[in-house]
Amino acid sequence: MPCLARSHVWAAEEPDRIVCAPVRPDGRAQQATTPPTLTDLDQQVQQLRQELALLEAQLAAQAAQPSAQQESLVPPPAESLPKAERINFRGFGELNYKVLDQRKPEIASGGFVAGSAANFYTGNFDLLLTAPIGPRAHVLAEINFEGADAQDFDVDVERMLLTYDFRDWLRASAGRYQTSIGYYNTVFMSSAWPQTTVDRPLIMAFPGEGGVLPVQAVGLSLQGVIPSGNLGLDYVFEYGSSDTIRARLNGIGSDDENNGNQVNIGIFARPDRFPGLEIGGSFYHDNISDDRNLSIRYGQTILNAHIVYVARGLEFLNEGVVIRHAELNGPNVFNMPGAYTLISKQFGHVRPFFRFQYLNMNPQSALHDVLLRYGPSFGTRYDFNRQIALKLQFDRTWRKSQLVLNGVQTQLSFAF
Amino acid sequence: MMIPRANTMFRILAVLSLCGCALWGQNVDVAVVVNPKNPVAILTLPALRKLFAGETRTWPGGTPVKLIIRAPGAHEREVVLRLLRLSEDEYARYWTTQAYRGEGTEPVAVFSNGMQKEAVLAIPGAIAVMDARDLKPGLKVMKIEGKLPGEEGYPLH
Repeated sequence: MPCLARSHVWAAEEPDRIVCAPVRPDGRAQQATTPPTLTDLDQQVQQLRQELALLEAQLAAQAAQPSAQQESLVPPPAESLPKAERINFRGFGELNYKVLDQRKPEIASGGFVAGSAANFYTGNFDLLLTAPIGPRAHVLAEINFEGADAQDFDVDVERMLLTYDFRDWLRASAGRYQTSIGYYNTVFMSSAWPQTTVDRPLIMAFPGEGGVLPVQAVGLSLQGVIPSGNLGLDYVFEYGSSDTIRARLNGIGSDDENNGNQVNIGIFARPDRFPGLEIGGSFYHDNISDDRNLSIRYGQTILNAHIVYVARGLEFLNEGVVIRHAELNGPNVFNMPGAYTLISKQFGHVRPFFRFQYLNMNPQSALHDVLLRYGPSFGTRYDFNRQIALKLQFDRTWRKSQLVLNGVQTQLSFAF
Repeated sequence: MMIPRANTMFRILAVLSLCGCALWGQNVDVAVVVNPKNPVAILTLPALRKLFAGETRTWPGGTPVKLIIRAPGAHEREVVLRLLRLSEDEYARYWTTQAYRGEGTEPVAVFSNGMQKEAVLAIPGAIAVMDARDLKPGLKVMKIEGKLPGEEGYPLH
């Protein structure tokens, strides 16, 4: 008798009698207690052959005449699709709750709408789409639905890039990108989920939330590896337009910087001997206007330096910038520093963190609404799993000519 | 004095030998294998780490690197995670972040060394790590720090 089920093995009881016995959990065949005769086996074989023929006929009939419903439900095999059609989706979302000890919140302190009395808000809901176009090219698009006043959402294409990998020493991208000023803006992009803290450091905040750096641009970006042995040097070169409109921190009005074309050159090292360590810097330059007096143009130079270590569950980020505004046809020069340090360590699902940040903008400059502000933030991130995180953060910010601002923020962020 | 029965002795020996095999299995060398057409024959550990971190994305000659890795639970995967100095959770977050940055393509996870072999043979730029005992003809085994699996001082096991 043929053994049709995988849970059966051939077992030889005696040389002239072969039976098919079920397998026990320990893998040994059970002994048949009443072995059938050859006549019984012959009858069973004939019966099984008839049943098999009937089943084959039914299957052949179904295969020849598939119903319309079946056709619509069966997807085409993936192999038959051109590679360009295989779009990979990822998404990132967040829900925030924030309490401040003052009635007049600030835009840059977490996406609050100035004057709002509400505590819940959504930050960014990001959809990331990537698709290969041939073996070396791919497209990346990041579409952001950003929460606004009265539960509205503003749609923004944060990134839209066509990238071609020539070699490791040259990867060329064209489109809208995040400027490679420093580490944070390059690594964490727009979403809250990858970052440990609830919000971005002040110097890396988005201009729409009162941030001071041109963190996005449209143009061409080149990056790659510099042959440097164990030093692990990489470079980035960007040329584009980072036309930026900054929301003022007090939530009243905004400043159009009328940026000219920007050049950004960065270099950073990841030494082989110290996996997780990155040391680097960047030089950015463009021309901007003071929106209060459009006849004044400034040459804007942004110098950045960073040293970070991310490995073995430890995250230690240190980054500083100097923003230099030099009047093109006048004597005014403003050198304005900013920096942050962030340290966190993973313990199981919990990652406590501490951050201190500092920012000092000149009141005569185009960044007149920011002024001096500094202070610590601390809290913890709890990862429910690899895709859902809950964060709790306390902030205390000293501000020039204003009261100290204390805040509590919680955030539920997720990736899918 | 009690003398164990023969089948009890046999069970004890079987358990001991299984434990021995399991322990020995953890120390067995794992080989780094690539497609036979790959021009590279020797890698340093930092170069291997950069490959599996997605930092090196093309082979000399321009062929894109395609990372193949065993699914969670396999010894070969643990070797790669140790090389990257990441836990399983950190590894998952790392690649989610890399994908978000648009940096590199997440490794393809497969369930057996047989599947790894098929993938490496089918994809010119593929690289995988597999138990040296499962090596099959046709695969190109890379020297790591100048050593082949089985040689004294081979670093991956």
